Amino acid sequence: MIAPSALLCALAVLALPVAQASLPLPVAQASSPAAVSVSASQSQAPKWPSSRPPRPLAARDVRFPAYEVKTLPNGLQVVVVVHREQPVVSLRAIVRAGSANDPPGRPGVAAMVSTLLDQGAAGQSAQQLAEAIDGVGGTLTTGLGRDLSFVNAVVMKGDLAFGMRLLADVLCRPSFAPEELERQRQQVLSGLKVAYEDPSYLADLVFDRLVYGAHPYGLPGNGTVASVQALTRDDLAAFHAAHYAPNNTLLAVVGDVEVEEVMAQVTSAFGDWARRELPPPSPARPPDPARRLVVIDRPDAAQTEIRVGQIGVPRKVDDHVAIDLLIKILGGAGANRLHRVLRIERGLTYSASAEMECLQQSGQFVAQTSTRAETTGEALRLMVNEFARLKRERVNDRELANAKAYVTGHFPLTIETPEQIATQVLNALFYGLPLRDIETYRQRVNIVSLEDMARASLRFQPDRLTMVLVGRAEEIVPQLGRVGFPKFEVIPAGALDVLSADLRRAR
Amino acid sequence: MRLRPTEATSRLPAVLALAALAVVAADAAPRPPRLDARQVTLENGLRVVVLEDHSTPIVHSQLWYHVGSKDERPGRTGFAHLFEHMMFKGSKNVRPDMHASLLASVGGESNAYTTEDVTVFWSTLPARYLPLVLWLEADRMASLKVDEETFRREREVVKEERRMRVENQPYGRLSELIYEHAFAVHPYRHTTVGSMKDLEAASIEDVREFYRTYYVPNNATLVLVGDFEADEAIALARRHLGPVPRSPRPVPRERPVEPPQARLRRVTLHENWPLPVIVVAHHIPADGQADSYPLVVAAKILSDGQSSRIFRSLVYEKQLALSAFGTANIAEDPNLFFAVAVVQPGHDLDEAERALVAELDRLAAEAVSDGELARARNQLARDYIVGRASNQQKATHLAHAAVIHGDIASADREFDLLMEATAADVQRVARTYFTPANRLILRVLPPS
Repeated sequence: MIAPSALLCALAVLALPVAQASLPLPVAQASSPAAVSVSASQSQAPKWPSSRPPRPLAARDVRFPAYEVKTLPNGLQVVVVVHREQPVVSLRAIVRAGSANDPPGRPGVAAMVSTLLDQGAAGQSAQQLAEAIDGVGGTLTTGLGRDLSFVNAVVMKGDLAFGMRLLADVLCRPSFAPEELERQRQQVLSGLKVAYEDPSYLADLVFDRLVYGAHPYGLPGNGTVASVQALTRDDLAAFHAAHYAPNNTLLAVVGDVEVEEVMAQVTSAFGDWARRELPPPSPARPPDPARRLVVIDRPDAAQTEIRVGQIGVPRKVDDHVAIDLLIKILGGAGANRLHRVLRIERGLTYSASAEMECLQQSGQFVAQTSTRAETTGEALRLMVNEFARLKRERVNDRELANAKAYVTGHFPLTIETPEQIATQVLNALFYGLPLRDIETYRQRVNIVSLEDMARASLRFQPDRLTMVLVGRAEEIVPQLGRVGFPKFEVIPAGALDVLSADLRRAR
Repeated sequence: MRLRPTEATSRLPAVLALAALAVVAADAAPRPPRLDARQVTLENGLRVVVLEDHSTPIVHSQLWYHVGSKDERPGRTGFAHLFEHMMFKGSKNVRPDMHASLLASVGGESNAYTTEDVTVFWSTLPARYLPLVLWLEADRMASLKVDEETFRREREVVKEERRMRVENQPYGRLSELIYEHAFAVHPYRHTTVGSMKDLEAASIEDVREFYRTYYVPNNATLVLVGDFEADEAIALARRHLGPVPRSPRPVPRERPVEPPQARLRRVTLHENWPLPVIVVAHHIPADGQADSYPLVVAAKILSDGQSSRIFRSLVYEKQLALSAFGTANIAEDPNLFFAVAVVQPGHDLDEAERALVAELDRLAAEAVSDGELARARNQLARDYIVGRASNQQKATHLAHAAVIHGDIASADREFDLLMEATAADVQRVARTYFTPANRLILRVLPPS
């Protein structure tokens, strides 16, 4: 029987665990390339079990599948990926404005706009829209990130025109009906109440605020209780009018389609959407990194959520590939020193990883783990040590070779489904990267040198890390001095206000 | 394949278009392409299922051991999952933690998960490395090595996993609470992650015994989907996994049978969660039983999409729930259909309970409309179609069919059974199972 998708979706909203438990992403450290390459020269031993890995089969060509990029006269960029395996089409619209474009002092506007898109549009009520998409067995979802808002529709191939029209209605002509705003306002307020009891959400919230400072990337995208209460219909309409424009939007159509038919449908649904002048990007800059350790006190926490990191780089930088390899060595798939040190060697955590968030204007490097209260100091010290090691010691030849082998070998796994293919094209277009970068990715990885890695490591400032701990302060605090962090702040979770300068709610 | 009226109806308001569709399409949801797989059983009992997919030069391997948390003995809850972790800790020719490292060194990814019924080890990697993953799986099936220190450290990792997923999350213990109170004797009474106390009690001798009992080729199913020739994949599987010895004794399958529930159970608990929760749960039959298919359709009608009954009533119209849904957990042994509401401030649990029960009663009292049934079928068709996009998804469908139903053809046949469920079937199963005597009502309130 297929998985009960309604349960999984509903549970995901609440972050409930499903009835399964799994290992985290690939372990992978110190894989010896020798173990694999030796096998290539070894003859197939008839003896079983063989003590060496078997030789691989013949190599195959890996090519990025075909796609089309077109632009309508009104500026709407359209990506089409034809993929006929399943009789389905997905439509993905991306508007180049997200929570970072919230009006000053009004966090949560972009999120509420996104939430209300499918709650009434073009003369149809929320329930009429729901009946229409559910009736054809489709899905319609909206959401947003820091720099973008999106609407995704999935319909069967025979419903392409219907899906395109529906997408155009919710994207271009949302009603923002007052009663729907009130309904969603209550949903968001209750959602925030739940989120504030989720230690992982709190850790990210505080970490982002510390790293990005007062830059819009550091503010809560869902808003705060006060800011959500203050939202008006005018805020939503103004945001929509300013940012939802064809010349600020990408559309991907993926699946069992003909390019000509898609373009005819796109023109019919979006052709009369008027081009608009767009507001200039925010001139704000994130602050320089400074060491800061904040403990958010949750006296009944079962574990401490830990974040360690600093300001990073925007997506469009010349050394992106080298920095990405370095982060993977620190804590990513195919390498992951943090996993080795914290989990394999010490058994302190289920999961330890690092990643970089790369946005239009800036980014961050962030490592995360969670461990019980009594091992929090040790885990924090080990994580900070690994940041310091990145800069102190050069990455060695073998580690670099392994990291490269992983990302280049992994490439065909990233183009398996039409959605994955479209994502790569959309990413390139969204961040203004040359489309040919997709095809040359593996070559660009392979030419990264140890010197490139050393240069990339200059981006790290291990003596100026931002550290956030969410857990039982009473047990955590006495450990901090012992592991070399005598300076810290403790904020009760209930007193947290990320919009204030000292993160505390005014009394 | 259904032909959808496009141009004509798309100019109409959507609600009219829907009405038109309900008439046109009542029994013609689109069909997912069939999974044209082959199955062979090796001499040692290992079942091997292969499906060619040449669209991308990758291969997905999924090895299912037919053992899950319902096979755990009393006092050892969580052990099947703990054991899953031990499978990454080294075998005769593979050093601890090298399994995943070797796969990653060629660009592959790998992981594992444990459910009530099965334990699944999967890998996706470039197609030319199919022999590598088969060699790795054979080595740990034939010669797992565990030492005391590794075991103790990994047990700490699993305890952290429990803290992270279950104890430190709002609502993280909800499944645990539901199952603990819904079942009296069947091992579904405990969830896969188990209790801290039992994890602490587990020993390395338990590891060895579990391995000898369940991690044997005659209790395993290997599914390969990807860019290979089926004959070649079968030959490779035979070469690497064929010599693993079959276990000399049969795999134990006895489990306590849950006696029918005789009367309504009501439980009120207190947890430090941000909003109260109400659960209305009913016992239902096992996977593969005829009644399980209409129950899945019922869940769709109750909960899939914003026009579904529970969402519309509790979340949208009455605004008494932040989130509400009903779902059928169809499993190898009889499990539960449960409806859940996370209740908004200002509403009481009596009101939420009445609203949830009213939706279940309504399914029993009147047949669902043709439009709702057509919608549910279309949604199920979409789940199948979208849910078979990747090799991994296809392999999961096939493995489930082989392990739980003993027949890979059931992967496609189940779709037909879902499409064939009628409004009368849905009403019949609602009448049969959504009765007060078969019901658990669980309320979880803030600390008093």
